Amino acid sequence: MPERKLKTVNQSIGRIEGLEKLLGKARYAGDLTLPDMVYGKILRSPFPSARVLQIDTKKAEEYPGVIAVLTRSDFGDIDPYFGPAFRDRPILAMDRVRYVGDPVAAVGAVDEATAEEALELIDVDYEELPAVHTIEDALKPDAFVLHENLRPAGQFSDLASISLGNKTNIAHHFHYERGEVEKAFKKADHVFEHTFSTPPVHHCNLEPHVAIAQWQGDELTVWSACQNPFAVRAELASIFGMPLSKIRLIAPYLGGGNGAKAYAKVEPVTAALARKAGRPVKIALSMEEAFKTISRHGTKYRLKTGVKKNGEIVARECEIYWDKGAYGDIGIRLVRKSGYTTPGPYRVPNLRIDSYAVYTNKVPAGALRGYGVAQTTWAVEQHMDIIAKELGIDPIELRLKNLLNKEEEFAPGDPVDCDFKGGLKTLREAIDWKRERGENRGKGIACFLKATIAPSISQAIVRVHPDGSATLLTSTTEMGQGGKTVLSQIAAEELGIPFDRITVAESDTSRTPYDLATVSSRSTTLMGLAVQKAAQDAKKQLIEMASEILKMKPDHLEIRDSRICEKGSTTEGISYSAVIRDQLLGGEVVGVGTFKTERDVQVPLGAPTPFWEVAFAGAEVEVDRETGEVKLLRYITAPDVGKVMNPLLARGQSDGSVLFGIGQTLSEEMIYEDGQLLNPNLVDYSIPRFSDGPKKLETIFIENEDGAGPYGAKGMGEGDLIPVAAAIGNALYDAVGVRIHDLPITSEKVLKALRGKGR
Amino acid sequence: MEETGKDHLQIKLKVNGKEQELMVRPNETLLELVRNRLGLTGTKQSCDMEVCGACTVLLDGKPVSSCTTLAFEARDREITTIEGLASSVRLHPIQKAFLEKGGFQCGFCTPGMILTAKALLEENPNPTEEEIREYMHGNLCRCTGYEMIVESVLAAAAKMRGDEECRKGN
Repeated sequence: MPERKLKTVNQSIGRIEGLEKLLGKARYAGDLTLPDMVYGKILRSPFPSARVLQIDTKKAEEYPGVIAVLTRSDFGDIDPYFGPAFRDRPILAMDRVRYVGDPVAAVGAVDEATAEEALELIDVDYEELPAVHTIEDALKPDAFVLHENLRPAGQFSDLASISLGNKTNIAHHFHYERGEVEKAFKKADHVFEHTFSTPPVHHCNLEPHVAIAQWQGDELTVWSACQNPFAVRAELASIFGMPLSKIRLIAPYLGGGNGAKAYAKVEPVTAALARKAGRPVKIALSMEEAFKTISRHGTKYRLKTGVKKNGEIVARECEIYWDKGAYGDIGIRLVRKSGYTTPGPYRVPNLRIDSYAVYTNKVPAGALRGYGVAQTTWAVEQHMDIIAKELGIDPIELRLKNLLNKEEEFAPGDPVDCDFKGGLKTLREAIDWKRERGENRGKGIACFLKATIAPSISQAIVRVHPDGSATLLTSTTEMGQGGKTVLSQIAAEELGIPFDRITVAESDTSRTPYDLATVSSRSTTLMGLAVQKAAQDAKKQLIEMASEILKMKPDHLEIRDSRICEKGSTTEGISYSAVIRDQLLGGEVVGVGTFKTERDVQVPLGAPTPFWEVAFAGAEVEVDRETGEVKLLRYITAPDVGKVMNPLLARGQSDGSVLFGIGQTLSEEMIYEDGQLLNPNLVDYSIPRFSDGPKKLETIFIENEDGAGPYGAKGMGEGDLIPVAAAIGNALYDAVGVRIHDLPITSEKVLKALRGKGR
Repeated sequence: MEETGKDHLQIKLKVNGKEQELMVRPNETLLELVRNRLGLTGTKQSCDMEVCGACTVLLDGKPVSSCTTLAFEARDREITTIEGLASSVRLHPIQKAFLEKGGFQCGFCTPGMILTAKALLEENPNPTEEEIREYMHGNLCRCTGYEMIVESVLAAAAKMRGDEECRKGN
């Protein structure tokens, strides 16, 4: 990489939207109102599994202040099913409800209170059906089947070939195999087999889902707290049978995303109710409703590994079941993608993976920061530590023996792009691994690798105005991760103009060009590449226009400090502004950039990942033997980010990601009883507070400038969350010899285990 | 906002320094008054049960959960929302500190955080880290991990104590 002094990138610039947010002026979707707007509320199923016999809405329709009531009887002329993998989720219940909270009817009224009151007046006749509450129940041969027919959505090329389950609750089965697993197990010196599990958990974004829909003639505009407006636009087009050009999706600032707001959730019902009402409709979910809209997959994971005496892995068998809940959402892709990386960043010559998505009558599971890799890492990294202990090998040494080298293939056609051993050694030193632990104290480490979505496409537009300022058009959404800011920094750097002369547009499918989604830690890297290309396109045009003015060939010109100058000379050259005014009068230069990943059929998922997200984690804990409490003395997170775009924002994301992981490790759990979610609120489901972090948190950004993104960047944001549970689990064992297999690590579980050991 | 003819009560209260005379429903929350009646949408609705702090406003200078406070309870009193902190686009030192120290990300908890910090610093101009964590315990954040919020409040405290610098350099 050529040496280059960066002016804007790698600087701790304050957020581009900072002023608005601090002044309380930033508009989130829930803050918007339209003239004539109506407020919508949703009636939800009280049963986990039931047939919907009759819905009587007469009294609700007649209630003063009610504008419209929506049910399945309004769906005769549309396709009422949606979903990014399978079209298995109805806008409102058609024949059945499949979880407590499944939407059945919607009311639009002059205010929220009236809409709520009218919900009580809707009479629904249910006939309860058997329900399956656990993965085990769902897999029994005589289990009640949630979905009898599954229709592929056909929206994403990587999900084009998903197979359909037939009269089973297995929604999808990803299988991958290489080498000769059974033979290798027989020849191994030792074989280890363990099972781990995780419960469903929830995102708990402070802003629940919210959408506003407005029909104007045959055109639909939707404002939504949404991470991927183009995907939602496509869903709405399918549902209502409309051309994409007639649907506009606008994503203002999100009050947190974390995967909860990826892919359609509340937009279809909002649009349908607005269509019936003949007026714009806003539906703002409550926190409780958000809990009942989307969750993270619970898992059951059986891992079997065969090793040589010296710890070298010869074979690994991974059998993981994902609790899908009632609908597929994007979990079908997750089960493939996280199934694929579930063996961990290790050299495994003989490998078998079976990754199953299993429907149950619970809140649907989808994407949550980490996208399944947190759950698999919880299992794999503890499994590795157990193996190390049994073989009498240091856990870090065991990993160093087996970690892939840079550029070594994780699978055919999919090489890794980072130095795992280097990263682990950096962590080992930082956590002072060799030092004596102290009573009831222990240290644990963990590492992993995560692929980003591939195939993928991002497009960007840069508009350079006649005064030399510029506007960046990008559909990357701003959900706190700082995407709009970092991309503006890249644009400013590439164009050579000051950061305060760049504006970035709101994500709006009618204005900002296509982006796959703001997920998968991909925006800095992949949208960043599109932004660079757009800027380069703009500069090319500026040079061509300047060559007309300066009467020099374009290849004799270059750009220095946002002026077009003769190569190799010290003349001042000509400014962007002068060029644009001369050649385009009042017009502007529009630069367009597209980044597209490559396909490769030899790669199990169909395309190699453009970059790997990798991080290393170290935890130091102290256990209180009286209470079982695990105190976090120290936590080190070391994400391999390639190049930090903005140190201030990067640290913020890293800090937040770690604490999110700590919440999932020590306290978070969605608790069900007979299909009822017992804790759908922030009182009974506790997320970390000010005092819940580690006593000392350290961040080490590994910057080898070896990423595929701008200036050698890779993605970050999920990596700091993913290994938290395993690092703490391993530290707990190191401290007091207790191994927890099922998250969360509560004091009760630790105490029980300590007592069980007779201590 | 359409009303459907329920009994209303007339109240007077000061909002961000300005006297207001309003008709409110008996069961209207202070959050609804602020967001829907006054159009001050900086204050946010989140948990609905007084545990997250996103709906924090200052009532006579003290942080309250506006989602569980009745609008009627604010009669003849003074409330401050996030919009009342800065003068037009000039940031309050607390807001400046949050910007410089990265004390916010998605921004949804931020108005509540800033108002709670304001109340804290009025009570205690030189808080320790521990005191900040304890005082602000009722404000949740899912994005930042809290460290940079604590640093922002410490920086804000320093700015506000270093009076001369604040008045000059802002």
